[in-house]
Amino acid sequence: MSAYSEQLTEDLLRPLLKTSWRFWTLAILLIGVVSLGIGAFAYQVWNGIGVWGLNWPVFWAFDITNFVFWIGISHAGTLISAILRLVNAEWRRPVTRCAEVITVFALIIGAMFPIVHLGRPWLFFWLTPYPSEREIWPNFRSPLVWDFFAISTYLTGSSLFLYLPTIPDFALVRDKTTGLRHRIYAILALGWTGTTKQWHRLESAMQIMAIAIVPVAVSVHTIVSYDFSMAPIPMWHSTIFGPYFVAGAIFSGIAALIIAMAGLRKFLHLEQYLHPVHFENLGKLLLMMSLLWGYFVFGERITTWYGNDVSEMTAFWQTQRLTYAPLFWTMVTVNFIVPVLILSFKKLRTITGCVVASFGVVVGMWLERFLIIVPTLSHKPLAYSWGHYMPRIPEILLLIATFGAMVMFYVLFSKVVPIISIWEMKIGQHPQLAHEHRTADESATMWRTEP
Amino acid sequence: MSHHWGMAVDLDKCTGCEACVVACHAENNIPTAGPEEAARGRAMHWLRVERYWEGEYPDVRLKFRPVLCQQCDAAPCESVCPTYASHHNDEHLNAQVYNRCIGTRYCANACPYNVRFFNFFNPQWDKPLHLQFNPDVSIREIGVMEKCTFCVQRIKAAEITAEGEKREMKDGDVKPACAQACPATAIVFGDLDDPESRVSRLFASGRGEKLLEDVGTKPNIVYLKRAEA
Amino acid sequence: MTAIYGLYDRPEAAQRACTGLKHAGIPSQDIAVISGEPFEAFEFMHRDHSMILFRLALIGGILGFLGAVGMVVGTEKAWPLVTGGMPIVAWYPNLVIIFEMTMLGAIVTTVISLLVTAKLPRFGKTLYDPAVADGKILVGVPAGGKADAIRETFTSSGASAVKTIEL
Repeated sequence: MSAYSEQLTEDLLRPLLKTSWRFWTLAILLIGVVSLGIGAFAYQVWNGIGVWGLNWPVFWAFDITNFVFWIGISHAGTLISAILRLVNAEWRRPVTRCAEVITVFALIIGAMFPIVHLGRPWLFFWLTPYPSEREIWPNFRSPLVWDFFAISTYLTGSSLFLYLPTIPDFALVRDKTTGLRHRIYAILALGWTGTTKQWHRLESAMQIMAIAIVPVAVSVHTIVSYDFSMAPIPMWHSTIFGPYFVAGAIFSGIAALIIAMAGLRKFLHLEQYLHPVHFENLGKLLLMMSLLWGYFVFGERITTWYGNDVSEMTAFWQTQRLTYAPLFWTMVTVNFIVPVLILSFKKLRTITGCVVASFGVVVGMWLERFLIIVPTLSHKPLAYSWGHYMPRIPEILLLIATFGAMVMFYVLFSKVVPIISIWEMKIGQHPQLAHEHRTADESATMWRTEP
Repeated sequence: MSHHWGMAVDLDKCTGCEACVVACHAENNIPTAGPEEAARGRAMHWLRVERYWEGEYPDVRLKFRPVLCQQCDAAPCESVCPTYASHHNDEHLNAQVYNRCIGTRYCANACPYNVRFFNFFNPQWDKPLHLQFNPDVSIREIGVMEKCTFCVQRIKAAEITAEGEKREMKDGDVKPACAQACPATAIVFGDLDDPESRVSRLFASGRGEKLLEDVGTKPNIVYLKRAEA
Repeated sequence: MTAIYGLYDRPEAAQRACTGLKHAGIPSQDIAVISGEPFEAFEFMHRDHSMILFRLALIGGILGFLGAVGMVVGTEKAWPLVTGGMPIVAWYPNLVIIFEMTMLGAIVTTVISLLVTAKLPRFGKTLYDPAVADGKILVGVPAGGKADAIRETFTSSGASAVKTIEL
């Protein structure tokens, strides 16, 4: 094995094999934060949704904001990883697993909210189609049922997309550990040895998964946006929501990925593998998505403004000039002005610059979801029924706990699984050896149907 | 015989006294929220009288509009309910099945009229009000949506009575609590499938306008316009 | 069955071994090459290609599609409740569900096909050496009477170690 491969394996296995007091402190702290959220949820289930700030007419606020936000964050991962694989971008190699991990855990957190926000959460399983003794099925016309199917499909697909290329790495760790750890990794590795057939089947499977996961990812956030656009109320009933939300999701996901990678690089000492050029490339993608986001927001607002419908303009001015203006303009600043300024200039497109822009984007995208939901709900056509909304402690605790949960999942995951794909990095050392150089004749005799 | 329930509300006659609101509360076992929760916006008025001020002092005009569930034939609340708790029955009523509701609150968000209400807590009544429930109406538990049902319990009772008496239903057999309580008889309820009923004639009178008609919800309530002063 | 295998540091040496083994009359399907990463540029990896996973994924997608159509149409007809003035079998929303289940069918079928065709999970004794985790390439054949010739081929092509294993 080359010196690089040895160093690579040692560096990427070190978090698995060595644990310091810093890890335990961080883990306990994060578990504490998550427990606060679980406590807040238990308090809400026991006492009722009334402990939140929701009211008539603002029936959704932090709960659905968090839901859409975390599902959005989940988009970069699998999407970036899948698209980069499909176009054979070599620089993807250290990035793919970090990204896929974000997807799976952000989805898990986001998928909790359709349950958490229910008035009777113990009956959440009524969303699944099963032959019940009540002789009734879910209403497939409801976007919430579409959510259930879309998120289940995406979660299944992303989890498998994460797991499959990890199998060879589990085999590697299996061979480098002993005792109970060895047995656990041996089970996870499924007895992988690395025969030609296994490699080829794995690569076929990854190819199919990459192709399949892209339309699924697009459909998931489109369907989440349909939770709004299927309601005939001002500034929700918009045909642009599908693409707008997907673009916003990819946008927030790339930002989350940049933050995660910067954190990993610093705390796991992966400077050798996560280079400034990776952040630069992702920074360029972030810039592009920021411009795309700005384009969609502009398009939505200018058409509303020209339409000048009374009900729509009421909701419109709420964000632009009235109650929600401070949040709206903060969102525009951190989602568009700041990222475009930082990321347009190569000198500023450093790791720090990208991380600063990304933190802004994460805040801005949360605000964007909030500003889609609450100004409209509080200002529907009949003026007498206008309302307002203020969050209360249980909702704020839940929000903080979701961020704690994401970091906690990430920290725990990178402790037990190599966060950078070792076998793919090894290929990256000599990419020319990874591709076949076949003549046309050889290709013709190539394919045999040997399962 | 099939029925198509509809209602006409005469804005010219409505004085904004809110007797209908109180009657609705009493008939349908609607809990009172209490001052704290009402301040938080949790009050549940299945029927509310909206009050609008027009003009500047001293030329101020006051308009009242009782707003209740419009029982829309193209109800946005029905298609978004994941459990069919909100659906349309064959008498053109938007039926709310409390037992199927899991409290996603999507229906309330989709309703442009904001006529749907959520049980944020388990409903409570101060003693001795807990002794005056209407036995024909179920108490809704925490986490469930509720709204005006056109007093479906009275509709059903009248249908059963008519069947028992082996006759067709006639206009005036069903009077929802609000129509019964209104001192100005501004609320008229009846069967739109019966061309002779008062409500059918009011629908055909030309004075009627539907609320937010351009949203496309096809409401079953007309508001009879005020005469211009 | 006894198997003999050689461990190689570099894929070129492993290729020499495979070529040498074929010259010694070992049928190519008996030669196993096991590595910690795929070396597609070499002839020893040019085997076991198959389109079967793609075909099965397509079939899985079709099964998902049919299952979804059956579910939405069947359940909507079983309990025909009117909602929002929409038809009982409403195709716009049904297409959303049908799309998701089609993709789920393709995805799940792909994973199951992978496991079945790659014969995973597989525990118990197989041809393997933990040195593969250190980057060595393993070339192995069943002994079958040509043991000496095989060992000679391995050593002459530059194996860092030649071992025997009972399977």
